[in-house]
Order: sequence, then C-alpha cells, then structure tokens
Amino acid sequence: MEMLIPIIVTLVGAATPILIAALGELVAEKSGVLNLGVEGMMLVGAIAGFVAQFYTGNPYLALLCGAFAGAAVSLIFAFLTLSLSANQTATGLALTIFGTGLSALAGAPYSAKPIALMQPLFPDMLARDPFWRVFFGYSFPVYFSFIMVAAIWWFLKRTRSGLILRAVGENDHSAHSIGYSVTGVRYAAVVFGGAMAGIAGACFPLLLTPQWAESMTAGRGWIAVALVVFASWRPLRLLAGAYLFGLVMTMELYAKAGGGVLAVIPSELWAALPYLATIVVLVLISIRRDASTNAPACLGKPFMPTN
Amino acid sequence: MDASMPHRLELIGITKRFPGVLANDNVSFSVKPGEIHALLGENGAGKSTLVKMIYGIMQPDAGEIVWDGQRTVVANPKAARALGIGMVFQHFSLFEALTVLENIALGMDAKIPARELEARIRAVMTQYGLLLDPHRTVATLSVGERQRIEIVRALLLDPKLLIMDEPTSVLTPQEVEQLFDVLRKLAAGGCSILYISHKLHEIKALCDTATILRGGKLVDTCDPKAETSRSMAEKMIGAGLKDIVRAPGRTMGLPKLVVSRLSTKKSGHFDVPVDSVSFVVKAGEIFGIAGVAGNGQNALLDALSGEILGEDKDAITIDGFPLGLLDTTGRRRHGLCAVPEERNGHAAVGDFTLSDNSILTARNRLGMVVLGLINSGAAKTYTGKVITDFAVKALGPSSTAGSLSGGNLQKYIMGREILQRPTVLVVSQPTWGVDAGAAAAIHQALVDLAAEGSAIVVISQDLDELLALCDTLAVINAGQLSDAQKVGEISVEEIGLLMGGVHGTSEARDAIPA
Amino acid sequence: MQFRLEKRAEPSRFMLYATPVGAVILTMIVGAIIFSLIGYDGIGAVREVFLTPLTNAYKWQDLGIKAAPLIIIGTGLSIAYRANVWNIGAEGQYVVGALAGTWVALATYTMSGPWILPLMILAGVVGGALYAAIPALLKTRLNVNEILTSLMLTYASIQLIYYLIRAQWKDPMGIGFPQTRRFAESAQLPTVIPHTIVHLGVPIAIVVALVAWFIMSRSVFGYRMRVVGAAPHAARYGGFSENKTIWLAMLVSGGLAGLAGVLEVAGPFQRMVPGFATGYGFTAIIVAFLGRLNPLGVIFAGIVLAITFVGGEVAQTTIKLPDAATGIFQAMVLFFLLAGDLLVRYRIRRVVTTPAGAA
Repeated sequence: MEMLIPIIVTLVGAATPILIAALGELVAEKSGVLNLGVEGMMLVGAIAGFVAQFYTGNPYLALLCGAFAGAAVSLIFAFLTLSLSANQTATGLALTIFGTGLSALAGAPYSAKPIALMQPLFPDMLARDPFWRVFFGYSFPVYFSFIMVAAIWWFLKRTRSGLILRAVGENDHSAHSIGYSVTGVRYAAVVFGGAMAGIAGACFPLLLTPQWAESMTAGRGWIAVALVVFASWRPLRLLAGAYLFGLVMTMELYAKAGGGVLAVIPSELWAALPYLATIVVLVLISIRRDASTNAPACLGKPFMPTN
Repeated sequence: MDASMPHRLELIGITKRFPGVLANDNVSFSVKPGEIHALLGENGAGKSTLVKMIYGIMQPDAGEIVWDGQRTVVANPKAARALGIGMVFQHFSLFEALTVLENIALGMDAKIPARELEARIRAVMTQYGLLLDPHRTVATLSVGERQRIEIVRALLLDPKLLIMDEPTSVLTPQEVEQLFDVLRKLAAGGCSILYISHKLHEIKALCDTATILRGGKLVDTCDPKAETSRSMAEKMIGAGLKDIVRAPGRTMGLPKLVVSRLSTKKSGHFDVPVDSVSFVVKAGEIFGIAGVAGNGQNALLDALSGEILGEDKDAITIDGFPLGLLDTTGRRRHGLCAVPEERNGHAAVGDFTLSDNSILTARNRLGMVVLGLINSGAAKTYTGKVITDFAVKALGPSSTAGSLSGGNLQKYIMGREILQRPTVLVVSQPTWGVDAGAAAAIHQALVDLAAEGSAIVVISQDLDELLALCDTLAVINAGQLSDAQKVGEISVEEIGLLMGGVHGTSEARDAIPA
Repeated sequence: MQFRLEKRAEPSRFMLYATPVGAVILTMIVGAIIFSLIGYDGIGAVREVFLTPLTNAYKWQDLGIKAAPLIIIGTGLSIAYRANVWNIGAEGQYVVGALAGTWVALATYTMSGPWILPLMILAGVVGGALYAAIPALLKTRLNVNEILTSLMLTYASIQLIYYLIRAQWKDPMGIGFPQTRRFAESAQLPTVIPHTIVHLGVPIAIVVALVAWFIMSRSVFGYRMRVVGAAPHAARYGGFSENKTIWLAMLVSGGLAGLAGVLEVAGPFQRMVPGFATGYGFTAIIVAFLGRLNPLGVIFAGIVLAITFVGGEVAQTTIKLPDAATGIFQAMVLFFLLAGDLLVRYRIRRVVTTPAGAA
C-alpha cells in the first residue's frame, strides 16, 4: 500500500492535463466542431503559463495566462472554420503547426531556465502526510479537473444551454431554423475548448517539468482528441480514459527509472506505449457497437447560414 | 368571421431576390382570423421563400408585412413566435438523438421547468388527439409521429397563425385525414392556417381560400371549392396540362426482371431493411412501388442497383441471368440501371461537370474507358446528347451538376440512364421537386422506354404519379412488399390501408394501431 | 454599408489557383508586420526567408534537395486527401521507408553492385506502404479514425529509430554515438549535377509529380479518388468501393512517403541518425493543400515551402531569427490559404441597406 501512493500521485499528475484538454475538446465536439488543434493550443498555453510563472511566480496567474493564450489561438480556428467555413480538419492541423512554431519562438529565450512548481492546494499537514497526500497532495489543477468533469456532465445533461449546445451539434440546420445562433454557440464552445487546452498546456511546466522545452506536450493533445472518441463523448468515461493513460505513462516513468521487471522491455517501447495504447483503445472502442452512434451528427461539417 | 375585423396577416408587395432568380415578385395577399388559407404553387414557385419571410428566417428585399393591422418587421423566428406565428416545416427541424420533450423544449422561447412543460404537452396532445410519449427518442419515431412533435411544438405557443409547409407529403391518406381534423379544430378556435401544398384535392377538401403563385408572382386568389382541380392546376402551371401519350395496343412481353425473396440487413440505427421482397416485371411493363417514406424504399433501391450486395445470386435475375452477387458496375453491364432518390451527392456529384457525371454510370456501357484511361471526348459527346434530347437547361457538358436547378439535374440524370437503353431501369422519386413541365417530360421518357421493351420499376411516394404512370402497383411497408395489383383494379383506399401497414390477411388487420 | 457573402453558381477556377499565390503574398506582408511588432526586423525576415533563397544562386541546390522530399510526399498526400482519406502520418511512413532502406543498405554492406540502390528504394516504398496499411486496415475493418492512428504511429516510428540505432544497427566505429555506419558506395544516392549536392531524388520528385498528375487527371484511378472524396455515396452508386479506395489512397501516399524517406537517407544523410525525422511529412501536408491537391501545384508548393526552409536557415545566421519562425510562416501560409477557400465558392458583395428592411 505504502508503495502504491507515489505511483498514484504520479499517475494523477500525468492524467490531469490530458483530462482537462479532453474535456474542452468534448464540449467543442458536442457543438459539432472537430478542433484538431488541441496539441497546438496546449503548447501555446504551456509557454504562456511558463512565462507568467517565470516573471510573477504566481501559478494561478500562470494558469489564467495559459487559458487566455489557448482561447486566443482557438479564435483563429473559430474564425476560419465558423465565419469562413474552412475545412475543420485542415484548419486544426494548421493550428497545431502554428502553435508549435509560436510556442517555440516565444520560448526560445527561456530554454534551461527553471521555474517553481505549483504547490499543493492543501496545508502541508495533509499534503505532505505519507498517506493523506494521496487525496490532498495535489495542486489546484487536479481538483479543478474533477470539478470540471462534474460541471460539464451537469451542463450538458441538465441545463438549457447544454441542451442547445447538443442540439447545435446534432442538427445545425434545425437549430438555425428554430432560431438559435449556430455560429455563436460554436464560437463559445471552441473558445472554451481553447481555454481548457491552454490550462492543460500550462500544467506541463507548472506540474510536471518546471522548465520550457520545445514541443513539451509531446503529442498529449492528440491523445486527448482520441480520448474523446474513446469516451463516446461522455465526461465520466473521459475521466476513466485519462486515468488509464496516466497509468501507461506512469509505467513508462518507472521503467525509465529502472524499476525491476518493467526494465526488461526496451525504454523506446515504453516511450511509444502511450501512442500505441491510443491505437489499441480506439480499436477496442470501435468494436463496441454503440461507439460511433453517440457522435454528434454534425461533427466536422461546416455550416453556412443562408439568408 | 367579422368582416370589420383586421386581417390577421397582410402581405403588401413582398419581393425577394436571389442571385439569378426573382423568388418573390411583388406578392400581396391577406389571411383572416380562423381562415385556412392555401398557398398553392409548383416547386420553385416561391412558396417556401414567402413563408420563410413571414416566419423571420429571411428578410424581404422590398414590401411590408402587416400583422393584426400593425406594420411589422419579423426580425427572426423568435420574433415571429412572439407575435404568435408558428410553423411546421416540410423538412422537420428535429434532433434525432434527443427526446420528444427535449425537442419541444428547444422550440420554446420561455424557460419552462421540464415537469411543467411535460404537463402542458400532455394537455395539448389530449386536446387535439395527438398521441406521443414525451420521453421517446425521436430517432425511434415514424415520420407521422415526428410531424406530431412539430405540430405540438407549434401549438404550445398558442399560435394565432400556423404555417404548414407541405405537411402531407410524408403521410398516408388516413394520417392526412387525422391531420385535417386537427387543423379544422384549430381554425374553429380562431387560429389562422397558412397551408402550403401543390396537392389540389387536399386544398379543395380543407381550405377556405387559395392563393396561387407561379414563378414568384401571385397569379390568383380564389375559393378552391368553387374551382375544379384542373382549373387550379392550369393556373399553377400556366399552360394546358399535357397528358402522357401511350402507344395504342401496347402489350407486355415475357418476365424480364424477377426478384425473389430479396432481403437486406439492418445497417444503421435509422435504417429500414427490406424483408423477403418478391416481384416480377415484364418487358414493357412499368411497375410502381408506393409507400410512405422510410419504409425500406432506400434499401430496396440500393439492393436492386447493387449498392448493397446480396448473398443470393438468384434473388435478382434479368431474363433468367442471376445478378444477385454483382456490384453496380456488373449489374449495369448486364443491363440494369438505377436512379436513386437523392440527386445531389448520390445520383450525381454536385462539384463535378456533367461530363464527369456521365463517366460515373455510363463509362462501361458506352466505352468511355480504354486501358484504365478515360476517353473524355466520348463522355462529352454523350453528355451533349443527353442535354439535347432531354432539353436540359445547362450551358454545356462542362457545367457543374451543382449549378443546375433540381428539375434540370433530374432531367439530366434520367436522360443519362435512359439513353444507355437499359434492359431494366429502377428509379426512385423520378419527379420529386421537379416542375410540371419537366415531370411530364420524364414520365413520357419512361413510357417510351417501356414501349421499346424495357422493364421499369418506379418507387415513389406520390400516389397520383404512380396511378398515372404505372401498369402494376405494389405497396412497401416496413420493408415488406404487398402483392402486385393492376392499376385500375385497386382503389386509393386499399392502397392507403396497405401504406399504413394493413395487409390482406385478417391477422395483420387486427394489429392496426388505433 | 455592409458586406455579404453570395454563393457562386460554379466554384471559381480563377480563385482556386489565385488564392495560393495570394496566401503566400499575404503571409509575407502580415508576417513582416507581426515580426516587426514583436521586436524583430520584420521586413528583413521576410526578405531573407522568402527572397534570398531565390536571388542567391548558391542556394538553389539547397532548394532542390529540400523541395524533392516535400514534392514526393506532398504528391502522395494530395492523392489521399482528394479521396478524403486523411493520412497525416506521412512523417511516420517516411521514417519507416527510410528504416527499410537502411536495413537493405546495412544487410548488403559488404556487397556492391548497381542492384543495391533499386532494392533499397523498393524496400523504402514497401516499408512506407506497409506502415500506412495499419491505419488503412483499422479504418476499413473497424472504422477507426485514420487521422489519429496514422499520427500515433508517427510518434511510435521515431522511437523505432532510437531503438534500432541504439541496439542492433549501431555503428561499431561510432564511439558510442547512436547512429548507423555510413552506407557503402553502392547504397548512396548519386548526384546528378557534378560538383553539387543535387542528388537523383530531385529528378525523381519531378517525374513522380508529373506521372501522378497524368494518372489523376486521365485515369479511372484518378476519377475514383476524386469521386470518393467529393461524394462517397455517389461513388458507391458509380461502382467504386469506398474501402478499396481507402486502401489505395493509404498505400499510394504511404509508399510515396517511404520513397521520400529512402531517398533522403541514401542521399543527404547516407546513414540513419537520431535526428532523421525533421518534419518533412508534416510540412508536406501544407504542400499538398497549397498545391490545391493537384500534383502540378504540388511542385510549385514544394518549392515555396523549400524556400521557407532554406530562407529560415539563412535568416537564422544573418538576422538571428529563431528557427521556429519558419514554422510560423508555414502555418500562416496555410491559414491564409484556408481563409481564401471561401472566395472559391462565394463572392463578396457590398450591400447598401435598403429602407424596406430598416425600421
């Protein structure tokens, strides 16, 4: 049991950014928009969060900066796909390329400069306790991610705005003809997704490795996109999926540290495992029959109102 | 009705222009409280555009809308509903994955707690005899039931004017009667109804006044009960009606197409498969398949064309040759051509030129491919011939299919298949959304092809079309095909019962839902 | 005064080909402004990135060898994207193609002969195609999204390089460096212009694009790709199976990416190194779009993107512009291009509000 606690703590840390990014993408996709730029938005959030932490040392401000930066670049995507009805797949890819370049440019002066990690939310008495830290030893983003799972579930299932968002993703033309602003709802959903991706990105320097490295999110944004499919667009399943990936990545870390049986497998295979696991997970979910039937019917389709 | 009362709705000089088309040209008419007012016209006459402006979806370029005596700008559908205007669309604005209750809640502008809304829905349903379970998912409902959601949604707003856009095109004759009862009750309660249709006998049965549009212009406002169907039709079309010319003394030959126990698997959630369908079409015969939309027509067409591959080679034969295992290319080689219902995106590619669209289905029958390379000259020549022979209004073979009007595209598609001289032609909804002139031309071409000895299958929801065109008729319901009967020996009532799912046997008759 | 979009009756062919040029010009203008605003020499950056590689004849050979892989991969992607098959894992297929070629080169290290290079090229094409076959199989059998699988396989392929050159393929003379030994003479791609670095891959790229253009515009294969991409339902009606098309698109795009990989490893690199995957497979996505998914356009677009690579290197040394700026310029080209797509289908009309609507 004692041995498990550090493993769980590592696992939670690895799962949190993926979960936050995937929650944002889930909301965007529920409104009918497929934003493949998550990786790019995360990187922009990561560098914004890093720079804010570097100069202010205030991690909450850093998360906020990450959110703003992610939201800002998501507006480029929103403008191109929603106002100019550009192809969503291509625009998402462009956003990822752009975010990678922008973050590398902005981060160039900061390489090898350390920052402080974000401290746990609860007092040391709980947070440093050998046992209780498994519940209380985390910083704010971890608890935030749990709250957001519940909040997004409640929003989509129980609120009128959530119903409208789902309706827009389900049948844009009907929603338009009833009188809802399809474009407006989707703008909001995309910007929310961007802000969440930005927070998720900021988690990398604030929670995991306290410095800036180019492309430090290492494909986690893409895994978040895959998780949304895996979760069949359900927030609770997203939680399960993110922790499954957290486990895979934790195993990789322990293998690198030379942990017994895990070291039998080459370290490169461990490094490739999250990506291979993503494919396996997508395969497993596609074998289940109902997987794709829960997909928003208008996902990825451009909408141009006629008037 | 008091003559001194203000009109509920008055349109003055409404004009709406689209690129290249004047959709509404200076249209003026008025609707009284409690009046059922028909808006009559062919497809493309401008009916839908006009009501979209009344409902605030579009804005007129010129003209005024007067509501209860007040000049009004209907800025958007929400404003329309606030005024008391409800609308039931031809294409339902429903969300398949959501429940009836959620769908209705989305149509309400005021926030009403779910429980209260449900109570009000049940009250309206009881009052008008519209039965539905509010917690069912729309995807599981029939077309008629879906329409009820739309009507309930509109009625909850207590409308003073209800716009119905082609409401009966998806209903059985019996369901149409039920709908008319609801509408009459509503009108008796003072609600005005603007009823859009091109079905003249319905308008004669239901409406107090009819406004006829043609090419965007108002032709006449008349009392439909004082007119004959023919006189209204001529106003609507603008010329004398053309009847189908059949060669005298026509005889049918030997069985050409034999379909025996053809079944398909259920592929999607919302898909109705065909279940052991059998029928025979002789050379020279036009065989009609009637039925309400969504009863397996699409699966039947796909199974006949080869888009859905079968497992039994003898399920489909032409002159005894088995086609059941061949794909569309193989079946076309053996003389079976097909035209699906959806023109743009299925029968033709909107972004492609007409010439490229000819390659889609005619490449092998007409030698447009040599050693894997396309002979685009041959495709162009053939397309030119289709355009000329079928009077397709297009700039030429290099126009894109998407730039053609619906009727012209349909004429091109029918021409593309008919000029390949298929042994068997299967068409679905050959004149859906096509103007009367084009429809007559298409009907004539089908009759002429049959006269040359081809066997023709026409799948249509338009019973009038089938009765005018076909020699033999069968009805598809829930994927099953009724026995074939000779047109002229079967009554509309019988067909209606078959469409509603009542087959000849007493067992089935007991199972009719009330 | 307001602007309104109006759908064109026919997509504008002029705009289809004018917008890529416009996108590049806009990138230069907007790029100059943005880089000036964030404290760089904006005009200098644009000059160095976009113009110096053209005006400096010494840079032309660099352009050629950078454009070649972009054109080869971009041609394959343009074919796949036509059919709406979103292979974005070309980088992984490029890597696996190069690894397959490396394997042949190492296995024949002690041998010589003119057959080695063709065999390597064949192995590269097959390797790339096989790696693309995984997403194709998953897509056609289980309907698993090919975007995600092909991309995940790219990340995995890079680990495969690390593994192979750290273990089995490690250069025995390498003093611990994780890289393979330098290929033998027979396994090196020859140069075609003496005293330059322009290797055989450059003419191969042009030939690949020209052949692809002919096939795409004249053959039933090309028609199949276009019709499946434009209207899958209509394609099925016309007798083209969607699954077969996905297979063809994946194998062709993967095979060409593999070809580019083996040419790259046998040409400029001449050995497998950890930093082999430099992102050509991702940049080729931009190349395919900028070339309007037309192989002739891909030649033009490949050269444009090659200019930004070469120019980016120039600007790094002359005006200290960070390496990452190249990626930003490239993404901007794609953004402007996607924005310009609207003009192909719509025209912008100025509307003077009429009093009828106003109240």
